[in-house]
Amino acid sequence: MTGLADSRPGRVLLGLALLGLFAVPACAGLFSRPAETRVVIFHSNDVHGKIDNFAKVAPILEAERKTGADVFFFSAGDNFTGDPVIDWADPPGGPMFDLLDRLGLDVLSLGNHEFDYQLGPVRKLAARFPTVSANIDPEPGVLPELKPHVVLKTKQGARLVVFGLIQVEPENRVPSTHPDKVKGLRFSDPLSKVPELKKLRAAGDVLIGLTHIGHEQDLRLAEAMPEIDVIIGGHSHTRVDPAVMAGGVLVAMAGADNRFLGRVDLRLENGRVVEKKGRLIDLTQPLEEDPAVKAMIATYYQNPALARVIARAPVEVAGKDALGSLMTDAIRQTLGLDVAFQNNGGIRLDRLPEEITLRDIYTLDPFGNQVVQFVMTAAEIRSLVKSSWDKRKDIDLQVSGLSYLVRADGQGRVLDVKLSNPDGSPLAEDRTFKVGVSSYIAVSYQFDHRDPGRSLQTTPAEALIRFLESGPDLTVYRDVKRAFKEITGPSPRG
Amino acid sequence: MRIKVNGRTVEIFAGARVKDVLRKYSAEEWARVRRKEKTVTDARGHEVGLEGELSGGEELLTRARGPEEPRP
Repeated sequence: MTGLADSRPGRVLLGLALLGLFAVPACAGLFSRPAETRVVIFHSNDVHGKIDNFAKVAPILEAERKTGADVFFFSAGDNFTGDPVIDWADPPGGPMFDLLDRLGLDVLSLGNHEFDYQLGPVRKLAARFPTVSANIDPEPGVLPELKPHVVLKTKQGARLVVFGLIQVEPENRVPSTHPDKVKGLRFSDPLSKVPELKKLRAAGDVLIGLTHIGHEQDLRLAEAMPEIDVIIGGHSHTRVDPAVMAGGVLVAMAGADNRFLGRVDLRLENGRVVEKKGRLIDLTQPLEEDPAVKAMIATYYQNPALARVIARAPVEVAGKDALGSLMTDAIRQTLGLDVAFQNNGGIRLDRLPEEITLRDIYTLDPFGNQVVQFVMTAAEIRSLVKSSWDKRKDIDLQVSGLSYLVRADGQGRVLDVKLSNPDGSPLAEDRTFKVGVSSYIAVSYQFDHRDPGRSLQTTPAEALIRFLESGPDLTVYRDVKRAFKEITGPSPRG
Repeated sequence: MRIKVNGRTVEIFAGARVKDVLRKYSAEEWARVRRKEKTVTDARGHEVGLEGELSGGEELLTRARGPEEPRP
């Protein structure tokens, strides 16, 4: 960690740049820059709560700091979401905050999953670490700690201007998280900020994009903005090793899940980058570990939150019908859907204990798949049910918001599928329904759907936890059954 | 959104990840990736993680994995 200057470019510096003085080599020594500076930037992205290898990162950073180089540690976003130990810590993400602090994080660019815990933890994050994103425009008072860019200084005074950019979904103009979690923030397309960002070239000696827009977009950014020295990216989980040159811009990304630590080496002469390269350090290999950091991590794994009782079941909630009905009710009600489906193979417990903990929920649904919403007609829902039946010639989908009956012949061929409202009346054929399914069902089942669908950026487990914490009546799951079959005629085996 | 896998267009829900696209592209190819016989790269040959997030128009390729290749 080195010095952090004001994130706003100084008026004098900007004014000189507008006069073109920075373009004149004779003026290069105007600010008494050191003749040569060696800068090493370590970087990670898309850690997603995988903290184990931070014990290996600490000695790498420490060893480099001892060489006398100017050493920085950057995060290109998505530190959260992916491990319940981190996601359900108190406060959410707390262990990640402490570890990044221990490692001396210099600057962080927000990723879409930084918002998964809502805005409160993002504010805490931005208050604790310099946090950048140039294409987020917060309403007054919403996220005042966020900066479009920061300026870091080396020990000898070279200035590194670091700006952030976050991925934005073209369909709804928000990052890939639940839209409710980013209320009060306006987002713009990352590349639309290029004209503004170009002005930053004059604000320092090294211009760095610390982005969370995916490698493809990083390359487009490099093409649109050759003024950048280095882009350090995240979001697409791309292992770019070695870092690539796109025009004159070095573009780096370090995979995901803390399996790699990125390293960018810069050599500056008279305030200009004259040499740059990047590579990845494989953290899955045996490397020295910092015992203190290792001890911190061990403590986090004893997270008492996972043993916290979130609901008590006064009756036994057991079997695919009961558990599937509970899971689909949770998805439907917490996400405001009309109908939800859950496949039997995705129900990984036989029964819930009387005292239900977070750990039980992640055992029941350990997959981390997303809930995907499709707007569907009754005929399309029927085709989904038929597809599920065809997989096993038996009931495969549990449901909320309707019940269904599959009539099949003795060979298991579907004769028809009858859909009913919860009160037993036929499901309307002349309207559409918002249907939620797991991303596994969305891509593995062959069914008709004109709507291509969209991820709701929530897992079934998260929906179930929220549902159980709302105190639902669990007695309704004692003898529940919503999926029925009727076989007519003899089976092939008689 | 549309993602190309090995030259074939896969139409998939917005917000899909690499694993979703692979599953939809081919159950057999997905199984090879799961068994670590194959790896997934972007159009430029950079390996991508299975939870990697995608935007419409991107391209993925699958290729046989070398014996000692680390995962992204």
